Amino acid sequence: MTQTLRDSMHLVSDPDHLDESVREVFETLFGAQCRGDADVDANDTHEPEMSVTAVVGFGGILSGACVFRCDALAARQIAARMAGMDFDTVDDIVKDAIGEICNMLAGTWKGKVPGLAANCGLSVPAVITGSDYDLHVQAPEFRICQAFRFENTRFEMTIVCDGLQ
Amino acid sequence: MSDVRALIVDDSSVMRKIVERSLRQAGLESLVVFEAGSGIEGLEILKSKEVDLILSDINMPSMDGLEFVRQLRLQQLAAEVPVVMITTESSEEHVKQAIQAGAKGYIRKPFTADQVKQRVLPLLSTV
Repeated sequence: MTQTLRDSMHLVSDPDHLDESVREVFETLFGAQCRGDADVDANDTHEPEMSVTAVVGFGGILSGACVFRCDALAARQIAARMAGMDFDTVDDIVKDAIGEICNMLAGTWKGKVPGLAANCGLSVPAVITGSDYDLHVQAPEFRICQAFRFENTRFEMTIVCDGLQ
Repeated sequence: MSDVRALIVDDSSVMRKIVERSLRQAGLESLVVFEAGSGIEGLEILKSKEVDLILSDINMPSMDGLEFVRQLRLQQLAAEVPVVMITTESSEEHVKQAIQAGAKGYIRKPFTADQVKQRVLPLLSTV
């Protein structure tokens, strides 16, 4: 009998994969650890202030998205570490950097789920900035949302799946 | 090692900078870098510039990295130049596709300067 991804739902939706992916990406990129922040509400998708959200779509045997969300200050600080320069505003380079972080997190996460790496493609990142928007997915199969702290910044990572084979 | 001329192809300008910085940290301090934001731009640069090394992302709009490498071979541009793919896609299938397209190496994002050193420098031993 052929095993489907749906049969391994407990593996696909295991929050530990996301946690390990975030720690691995930040440690490799910056040589520094980030730590989990328990203060997160997976159902709270409303943006209370200026924020930067990067989205990388999944397509194939799993469809959905990897979402990286932080405030403007965190985006500028993370981009500064990546680009080796300081930023006064959330300009195109900052958006590019946050999109790339999301891309690396999406790729690392799907590489940790058995059977997903080769059968699930990634879109190029899209980056949204603003102060009053919601992220809404109609009836997701599952959603994993975790918050992290890196140096003095805080960010949230979400994996949302709206289709699974 | 004499000056190395590298073409870095990635739609992210930040990633191009990170790749350049990693190459320098890996020991290629006297590096000359050409940057392209897509496979199409990369092909254009190679029509007028000679390089010793090409590093390319795979997942890019307009022309992805695999098609870029295929076109390099088809158009006989930089025929002897080693190409290393740098990408978030890391499955065996993706590595196989990259090698079949003509890449000589593969580095998964994110990466360290040590990984770049281990996988890129051996390809430059004949430069």
